[in-house]
Formats: sequence, structure tokens, C-alpha cells
Amino acid sequence: MDDTKDLKLQIKEMIVATLNLTDVNPADILDDQPLFSGENVITLDSIDGIELIMAIQRQFNVRLDDQNLARNILNTVDAMAEFITSKQAS
Amino acid sequence: MSGTQLPFEHKMSAHCETGTLSSQLAFHGMELSEALIFGIGSGIFFGYFNNKRFAFPTFIVRSKPGQIRKNLTKRLGIKFETETFKTPQQAQEKLDALLAKGIPPATQVDFFFMDYLPQYLRVHINVHFINVVGKTEGGDYLISDCYYPKIVELAKESLQKGRFAGGSMAPEGFLFYPTFIPKEFDFEKAVRKGIKKACFNMLKIPIPFLGIKGMRKFANHITEWPKLAIDAEDLSHQVSKINILLEDQGTGGAGFRFMYATFLKQAAEILKQPELVDFSKRMMDNGDKWREISLMAARMGRNRDLSVEKLREVGALIHERANVEERFFKELAKVVK
Repeated sequence: MDDTKDLKLQIKEMIVATLNLTDVNPADILDDQPLFSGENVITLDSIDGIELIMAIQRQFNVRLDDQNLARNILNTVDAMAEFITSKQAS
Repeated sequence: MSGTQLPFEHKMSAHCETGTLSSQLAFHGMELSEALIFGIGSGIFFGYFNNKRFAFPTFIVRSKPGQIRKNLTKRLGIKFETETFKTPQQAQEKLDALLAKGIPPATQVDFFFMDYLPQYLRVHINVHFINVVGKTEGGDYLISDCYYPKIVELAKESLQKGRFAGGSMAPEGFLFYPTFIPKEFDFEKAVRKGIKKACFNMLKIPIPFLGIKGMRKFANHITEWPKLAIDAEDLSHQVSKINILLEDQGTGGAGFRFMYATFLKQAAEILKQPELVDFSKRMMDNGDKWREISLMAARMGRNRDLSVEKLREVGALIHERANVEERFFKELAKVVK
């Protein structure tokens, strides 16, 4: 498994654990499908979004300090992985 | 007028007013970051309002709309043309005339009528700012909205509805655009003044519900909210609004505290005062704590966990923020003397 795949799985596990989604298998969450609009196996709301922002900060030590960009970054697992990778590299 | 799109560089940003100002200035050749605009404009603030004008107590985390632009005029000498209109027709005629002259103005709208945004984001907020950057052959408008990833079409009817929405801060077709940008600026002086005024606003305005005093009033008063709410549903909605006001309404995160932290980091370089980097870090940490309050309120609202004890816990956290920010702004005022 390459680093990006590993990171995406970590993100999915973080989502499931943070939001206590006991009936969701992390591997079933699709990388490129929106998480907020009912097009993925889970549908998040804005409160879930804040929970995830704080979980990303705790787990990956990167701060998502722009709420408008957050909407786009939290939209898919792909976008979260790209954001975390770019922040950790900078 | 046939279809046209002005060469306007679209940028996303954290907050509509500062983002729109930044884009407007960029169109006229001046690059000024959103955070610098916010800081020079003394945007950071706090106020708690519990009076007859409001159906329920509410709070603000920034200075009133328009004040940042006015402060830019005072501190950097940038002049803006501003105008409101009596009728939608007059407002549209002026907009078309400006576009025909190659000027893409910013205008105030109600967020709700911005059809291009996803439904779940569209709530009635009538102090949203967008740039109008062109017109289609069919007579609709091309919009640069800092909350949307690209320039997008908006039906002329929707734009009109947005520009003439009602409410206490009704837009009345308000539009603005820069008319004069000085060739040279004293950024150091402007940044220093922006910080000093922010410190004054937070610490010294002699009104008991503004600045740090407002935070303490909020912290003390929140346990009274159950008596003021119509019912449990209403209380749940009002408590959830704490999260919306801190995080969801284009605040840049944590009630603008993150944006102010970014400003202070940039100010450290402009003023050649590296100690401001430490202030920036402290403000970031402060933002994290506001975000925790925001999340706690959101959870309470969602779970209907609204006991007085729980509200007292929120109040204690807000008191803590008041103490931290009071110390912060007192020390900051000394550093930028």
C-alpha cells in the first residue's frame, strides 16, 4: 500500500471513529465522492465538519484555519488527503 | 449590452467582505491580503446584544459591515465610491453602466438568493458581498463569489432579489468599487494604527456589552437563555447558532481569531517586530479554544442537552476566553506603542 492510500485509509478510520459511525466500514467510504451531499456511503452535516476539523488537527497536527476552504477540503477523502499532505510538506 | 466578462481574477477567501475588498483592489493593481485588510481595518471585535432590537440575544465577532472598508480609506487613503438605490431598476441600470465602463463593482446581497450555492448553505444573511464581473447575452450576471470556486452565472432576477432583500441590514442595492488608490503607502503606520484601534475596541469602549466586557456579559447571561426561549426547540436553535456565528458565517474560523492570527504574523514582518509572531501563535491557540466552544454548543443543540448546568459550562469557557483576550490585547497594545 503506498503512502497516499495509507493516508486515505487513516482519514476514513478517523471519520468513522470521530463520528462514532458504528455501522460503517471505513474501507467502504469512497475517496472521490462528496461526504456532505448524500453521494457517498455516509452523509455529514456542518457539525460533523467541525468535529472533523478538530480531529484532523489532533491526529495529523495540521490546522484547518479557513472555514471557507474547509468546506472544500472536507468535501471528499481525496481533498482531505491532499490538504494534509501539502500542509505536512510545508 | 451584449455578453461580456471583465478580466477579473477570481479568488476564494475566508470572509466575504475582506475577500471582496482584496479582489476589488487586485483588479485595480493593488495586492493586499485578506488578513492584512482585516487587521488594518481593525476587524476583530466582540459584542453581545440583548435588547429589544433582537428577538433573542445574539453576538458579533467582528466590526460592523462596511467599517473595515472605511478604516482602509482612513489608514491607506484608498477611496471607494459607494451607493444605495431606491428601486431595483435604478440599481440594475447603475450596475450595467459600470460594467459597460469596465468596472466590476462589489455589491451587497442576501446569501439565500445566490442560486449557484448548494441548498444546504443557503440561509438568509443579507450582508453577503459579491463581485459582479460581467453579463451574459441573455442578460444574466457573472459573479465572482469568494465562497464559490469559480466565476458563475446568476439569473438577473436572483441578483435583484438578493440586492433588495429586507431585514435590519437591508442591502438597498448597495455597491462599491475603488476610485483612487495612492501610489505609495505607509504600511507600517497603517498596521500599527489598525492594531491600536483593535486593542482600544476590545478593551476600552465604555459600553458594557462591547469588547471584552461584551464577552463577560455573554458568559454571565447565557444561563438566562432558557427563560428567554419560546420552547426547547427554540433554545436548541439559539444554542446551535453560537456555532453558526463563530464558524459558519464566513468568519475565517473561530470567530475571526484565526484570521487575526494570520494578520499578526504578517504584521511582524511589516513592523519588523518578531515578537508579534508569538502573539500570532497565542491568537491561533485562542482560536482553537473558541472552536471548542463552538463545537460544544453545536453538540448541545443537536443533542438537546440544554440544562442550565451545561450552559454554565459554556459560560465558564467564554469567561476564560475573555480573561485570555483581555490579557492578550493589553500586552499587544504595549508592544505596538
